[in-house]
Amino acid sequence: MIEMHDVYKVYGNGVKALNGVDMKIDQGEFVYVVGPSGSGKSTFIRLMYREEKPTHGVILINGVNVKRVRDWKIPYLRRNIGVVFQDYKLLPNMTAYENVAFAMEAVEAPKRKIRRRVQEVLELVGLHDRMSALPSQLSGGEQQRVSIARAMVNNPSFVIADEPTGNLDPENSWDIMYLLEEINAQGTTVVMATHNREIVNTMRKRVIAIEQGVVVRDEHQGEYGYED
Amino acid sequence: MKIETMFRHTREAFKSLKRNTWMTFAAVSAVAVTLLIFGIFLVFAFNISYMASELDKQVAIRISLSQTATNDDIDQLREKIENDSAVKSVDFIPKEDGLKRMKEQWGEDEKFLKGLENDNPLPDILEVQAKNPQQTESLANKLSKYNFVEHVDFGQGVTDRLLDLSGWVRNVVLIFGLGLAVLAAFLISNTIKLTIFARRREIEIMRLVGASNWFIRWPFFIEGGMIGVLGAIVPVTVVLLGYNAVIGILGAGEAYSFFKLLGMWPLSLYVAGITIILGVFIGVWGSLISIRKFLRI
Repeated sequence: MIEMHDVYKVYGNGVKALNGVDMKIDQGEFVYVVGPSGSGKSTFIRLMYREEKPTHGVILINGVNVKRVRDWKIPYLRRNIGVVFQDYKLLPNMTAYENVAFAMEAVEAPKRKIRRRVQEVLELVGLHDRMSALPSQLSGGEQQRVSIARAMVNNPSFVIADEPTGNLDPENSWDIMYLLEEINAQGTTVVMATHNREIVNTMRKRVIAIEQGVVVRDEHQGEYGYED
Repeated sequence: MKIETMFRHTREAFKSLKRNTWMTFAAVSAVAVTLLIFGIFLVFAFNISYMASELDKQVAIRISLSQTATNDDIDQLREKIENDSAVKSVDFIPKEDGLKRMKEQWGEDEKFLKGLENDNPLPDILEVQAKNPQQTESLANKLSKYNFVEHVDFGQGVTDRLLDLSGWVRNVVLIFGLGLAVLAAFLISNTIKLTIFARRREIEIMRLVGASNWFIRWPFFIEGGMIGVLGAIVPVTVVLLGYNAVIGILGAGEAYSFFKLLGMWPLSLYVAGITIILGVFIGVWGSLISIRKFLRI
């Protein structure tokens, strides 16, 4: 569960990104976060995986106040959250398998477990026959699937995706969406910031719209609601 | 931490050393120069303190006699000392001779001593040599309890001066060495900075997937430590080979009674150990500078 109570975020340069956000995302939900560029969407997302700290207000992740978590404990908080980016953030000199395994090695998982689990998630994302390919040998859609596999490999209870389809053509975008839907169906909470009107309007999930740092709309089975 | 993880960190550190060959080389060289100076100093320091302790045991015991002692008293005392089984020889230096020696030592400034002939303030002296140098100190203590013995000293003058010298050398080396160590640490911190930069993507991903802060930091500390160890190898080798050659020429503990040098063992162990530890310390210090400055966790 992710909760925000009266959350403000003001950056060092004076930019007010969030101006009092209240919301709650339950375990197992699928939520789109929409809003124009510069609306505070990205800040909203970054606060969830504790890349930013709120200037004011309380953020609870599974009941833990992230502002109060000591620095050295943050890594353990993050193990519960998988993050997916628009630009995939894969390591170019590692194969698909190694990229995913890297996430488990970094949390010091045992070797045997790594081998089994990495194959499992690569199968889940449909890349079990591309394991030894380097990112440069994979298409954009495939790369994003590797990055989703990496986000999933440590069994997080949340997956937070910041414009995961932003660099993909419609067909690949839909593949990614089906994958995220499947992950969600298995019980993982998915929070996804997006500009993709077609996807939001077709899939009809919960939509949180942010404008000028406040939540202006929060609907179940919502729509994208903006003219591009 | 698991052994497996440690291997991984070490591998990462090695990779980075190879990746920044020239920076690594510069940093290792800086450490090497610093440690060479430290190493040479260490050998000196160990030997000087050794020599001082040896000299303590060798030098003659000077007994200042009470002004009230008559010639008979002195003869008796001298006889008593000569009969001591621990004594090798006894010389009597009357105060007139003492003044003469003093004038010789003072040279030009002898004029300050003019007029003292008539009212010589110096004591008569008995100079005692122990049979066994090791017993000088205990013998001196024994003699100091005899009648008409006003004061006993044995070589503190010489050894004190030697220790003064070594203290002075130490201060110079410390200041100079500290400057070099700072320079070396700075070069190491630059190498580490390059590594942090080269691995920034990996670091970003490690943070995102929840690698602990120490998991992320370790490879950089190891890299710095390795630079320190690599930087220690050359100076340790040079210093020990050089010292071995010096011993070969001057001879350890023989030949010259004054230049009694320490043998290779266990000196080489101390010098190697201290130098390597110092190298690691400089290396880790250098990494720490960059880790604190550039590694955002």
